[in-house]
Amino acid sequence: MKIWKRNWTKEEAELWTKEDVIAALFVALSFVGIIIGTIYSFLLMPIGFITLALSVGIGILGILIIMPKMQSISREYEKKQAKYLEDLEKIARWEEIDG
Amino acid sequence: MDYLLTLDWIWIFTFLFLMIGSGIAFYRLASRSEDDYFLAQRDLPWWLPGISVYATHTATDTAIFVMGVVYLYGVSALWYIFFPVWVAVSAFISTRIFRRSLAGTVAEWQTLRFNGLGAEMLRGWVSGWQFFMAMFILGWVGAAMGKITFFLFGWPQWIGIVGFTSLAGIYVLMAGYWGVMIADFQQGIIAFALILIVSVWAIIGAGGPAEIIQKVQQMNSTYTWTVPDDTSPSDKTYLRITGEEQNQQRQYSMGDPFSIVGPPADTDEVDKATPTYEEMFQGNSSKLEGEEKDQFSKHNTDTDFNIVFPHPGDTLISGESYKIVWNSKESIENQTIEWSNDGGTSWSTVATNVRKGQDWRLSPFKFSGWFTGDFPVMWFLTMLVIATLGGIGIGTNSDWYVEAQRIQSSKTVMEASFTMLAGGAAVLFRNGIWIAAMLGLFTLVPQFADVGQVETMWYTYGFEHLPVGVVGLFVAGIIAIHLSTISTRLNLGAQYATRDLYHHYIKPDASEKNLVWVGRISTLVLMLGSFLYGMMITEITEWLIFAMWIMFAGIWLPSILQVVWWRFNAWGYLSAWIANLVFSWLIVWVLPAYGIIPELTNYMQFWILLALGTLVFIPITLLTKPEPLPHLVKFYVQTRPIGWWGPVKEEAKRQGLI
Repeated sequence: MKIWKRNWTKEEAELWTKEDVIAALFVALSFVGIIIGTIYSFLLMPIGFITLALSVGIGILGILIIMPKMQSISREYEKKQAKYLEDLEKIARWEEIDG
Repeated sequence: MDYLLTLDWIWIFTFLFLMIGSGIAFYRLASRSEDDYFLAQRDLPWWLPGISVYATHTATDTAIFVMGVVYLYGVSALWYIFFPVWVAVSAFISTRIFRRSLAGTVAEWQTLRFNGLGAEMLRGWVSGWQFFMAMFILGWVGAAMGKITFFLFGWPQWIGIVGFTSLAGIYVLMAGYWGVMIADFQQGIIAFALILIVSVWAIIGAGGPAEIIQKVQQMNSTYTWTVPDDTSPSDKTYLRITGEEQNQQRQYSMGDPFSIVGPPADTDEVDKATPTYEEMFQGNSSKLEGEEKDQFSKHNTDTDFNIVFPHPGDTLISGESYKIVWNSKESIENQTIEWSNDGGTSWSTVATNVRKGQDWRLSPFKFSGWFTGDFPVMWFLTMLVIATLGGIGIGTNSDWYVEAQRIQSSKTVMEASFTMLAGGAAVLFRNGIWIAAMLGLFTLVPQFADVGQVETMWYTYGFEHLPVGVVGLFVAGIIAIHLSTISTRLNLGAQYATRDLYHHYIKPDASEKNLVWVGRISTLVLMLGSFLYGMMITEITEWLIFAMWIMFAGIWLPSILQVVWWRFNAWGYLSAWIANLVFSWLIVWVLPAYGIIPELTNYMQFWILLALGTLVFIPITLLTKPEPLPHLVKFYVQTRPIGWWGPVKEEAKRQGLI
């Protein structure tokens, strides 16, 4: 059994799932660890290097978990982007949008 | 000027040539359309706007601020500057939602989320406010540069404000966002390299990591006390320290008498009493020895504490701040400082829950209590909630407006997320380096009570200790730090004026050429306005911080609700703005000034303003109509917001749109 989902259909990718939450939590934790780890690393404290390495690792893991889903969302969305941009321009100019 | 030799000037002029050259090189590209001038045609790879996020959030006043908070709080200062953590949450939630909307600005996004008159009023208000704030921030950052050039070259402040902002103005006027991006790329790399070099230099200069840690661990306890303004002159003033040992036994010690006088007519003529550098370390006691000390120490009841400063016989001035210094037995916790102005008959509290020694400066989690002291748990939790939950909303803090432009200029939805992650991580990494270096600088001058005396120390250390040639690079780095912030704010403010005000409300049928020129004129107006604010900034700094606080405290929750709750509407958001304008004046200034409520800490102000605002905007939202369902369905299908969107999702499904 896979720990996290790696293949996403476009319908599945559009839903908010546990992968989004895990990625956000992992990277937030990683960010806090990066600042603490950097401080102690520059003070040459061993705990700093350990914290920094773990934080970078957790951050990369978070990104790896979400990457397949983000790729799917991005790919599908780019197909529709031109039409959306056209609509946005019409709104700015107070014109009627088709459809 | 003495700091710079020929090689230094070569570095500085080479750098300036590169910056302005890039502006000229991208002039034609930027002139093609409004999208080019403000979003670089929405086609940038993630690393370019990512570096820009980092460069923009590294301003000339950032090093000054960081030095100030590290001097006061040590490593736990990181919680004052860990705010980019919101980016980690945003990158996977609100960034995705915002990027899919394609809105160039937060104000434009709100007309996609809301509808009708309320949405248009909101767009007009937010864009006007952002133009105004851009001018304010430009003036603020310009004034910081004025201080640095005064220190470096002895130039009058206006030269620092006008000169460097105008340099940024050249390439922003010509190349718009393209110029900002290319210049930020160079500036980000130069600034990062210089921050690394100067900080490592400072750590080594402070004796190296091991000595910094040792010095901090050996320092005496201190507390910065501001003698109350209304204190009557006396020569029988005492300080008393009490503490707990093993949670029960109370120890106390009273210091020797000193004097308090009123403020003199010209404080410059008075030598302010200050502990010596040596007295900051354990093993050094106050100046008096032998019989004289015995005479003054008659009130001491034990030797568990030893008050080192104020020295017996010192004269303190009412209204001034002093660093009380003492040492105590290792086992005594939760120390309380009291003072008496009548020879020890009556006592008033100076501070409670004061942390002993200084080794707490090495820990990010050494709290001073749940609600009391310099670093209460509640303050920390408030910052944590604001930063992490804030990542779900759109426009939850002032940085969001800058990030919005970088998100939309990224090539794809995924690259927009990477833009945010890269920028946020680089800012936090930089903050970590700075904190370590500034802790080292603190150990060189730990005796000052006034942070203003040390807050430019990172800069002065660089100028005074870097070798010839590297000082020029350092100056180039400072110019880079400054120009990246200035150029971003110039282009961002002009974007709100052009896209949201001129294009949408004044001339909807404007040609692309016309819009680019309006962008350039708006940039020029912003620049001129910022000169004015920069010159009067010392009078308005407090107002500016208040203005940013207004936006932040009252709009934080509505900015989240507009993303996560379908029923929240434009009237709710507008009412939150208006209510917050009233409540923040009352809570922050008016009611405390009349003694109706006490002066509240920042985190208490935040929660109270949030609660009061909620009492207004929730009823108004529920008493007014929801946004029209077809409008919400369109928004939902395009952006796929997170949260409670049940009825909208059902309708979208029913129409076969998802």
